[in-house]
Amino acid sequence: MIDFEAAGAKLYVLSYDEVDALADYKQAHGATFTLLSDPHSEVIRSFGILNTTIAEDDHPWHGIPYPGVYVTDGEGIITQKFFENNFTVRPGAEQLVAAVKGEDVLLAERPATDQEVEVEVEFEGNDLPVGITRQIVARFSVPKGMHLYQEPVPEGLVAASIELDDEAEGIVSYTLVAPETQPHTLGTDGHTLEVYEGNPVLRLPIAQNGRAITKDDDGRWVSVSGRVRWQACNDETCLVPDEKAFSFRVPSAFTVMADMGPGEGRVPSMNGATHFKKMTDRRKTAS
Amino acid sequence: MQIERDTRGAELGPNRYEDAEGYIAPLPAGYGPRSNPLGAFPTGPEVGEYLPDVVAVNSEGSTVDLHIDREGKPAVLVFTRSAVW
Repeated sequence: MIDFEAAGAKLYVLSYDEVDALADYKQAHGATFTLLSDPHSEVIRSFGILNTTIAEDDHPWHGIPYPGVYVTDGEGIITQKFFENNFTVRPGAEQLVAAVKGEDVLLAERPATDQEVEVEVEFEGNDLPVGITRQIVARFSVPKGMHLYQEPVPEGLVAASIELDDEAEGIVSYTLVAPETQPHTLGTDGHTLEVYEGNPVLRLPIAQNGRAITKDDDGRWVSVSGRVRWQACNDETCLVPDEKAFSFRVPSAFTVMADMGPGEGRVPSMNGATHFKKMTDRRKTAS
Repeated sequence: MQIERDTRGAELGPNRYEDAEGYIAPLPAGYGPRSNPLGAFPTGPEVGEYLPDVVAVNSEGSTVDLHIDREGKPAVLVFTRSAVW
């Protein structure tokens, strides 16, 4: 538990919940900070942070704020504030305590520029049975005059790649399939690197070895996650390296080899044992 | 300011929807409680301004005036969506 009191600050958490809901929350979680109830969103409105994308009649969601945090000094002057578009993203308590202590811990804004590279990431296929390869496909849209790099690159540059998360146990990945490259000589130091021009499509073939399967009431599933990384440059300058996370969950499906036999959803039995015996017998007779 | 809702995302499976940043939840992005603003959105008073007055009832039922209650100490004020859901 991060100690705001030890940092010399008081912590207040305000929401549109009723007082008794906050009391229950406080008891259930053993919260030591002050919970404030703003059931008619009056304080939220006075700060101008009511989430107006939710219609007034969209109960019970209407009335919530764009979630965020203000940090003040001892005079009550706001020293830092934290607001992210994605409500899932909140500053950690460590960041807030650092902010109280006067450290600048704001998340850096990504440069908003029309020179941004876009990438669409797709799992090509409807399922991932054991031992059948499918591909994760990254389709880049690169602004005119810019290019992406192929491995290897010198330190400081990031090549375009598709990487799986380390914890993707049971997923086997293969060599990246990429379009042809052009040699490109950097003006600064004369290095010649291989670059993708235009809008390249990268493909990472993957398969699963059976250990990636999770089961629930709806079936058997495989999850594959990772990130596409790249850095775009033109002849003069490079944008900061960027990445896009992907996460796919697809049916693992059944394959003939491993899953033949009775049972719903399985590959129907085709009397394999009988056929195998017949084949064995025939070969014995022939020899 | 006309705020647009961020509906970018993908369905990953039954009750599993990914938003533009890859966060997964049982509802599609842009639906009800999953209403994120797209682009610029209001974030209230600016850094350098005095924090506006906050007077609200705490979980014990007493009225708290934040600036009095903090007794000259720095404050961290969190606006959260709900403690219930």
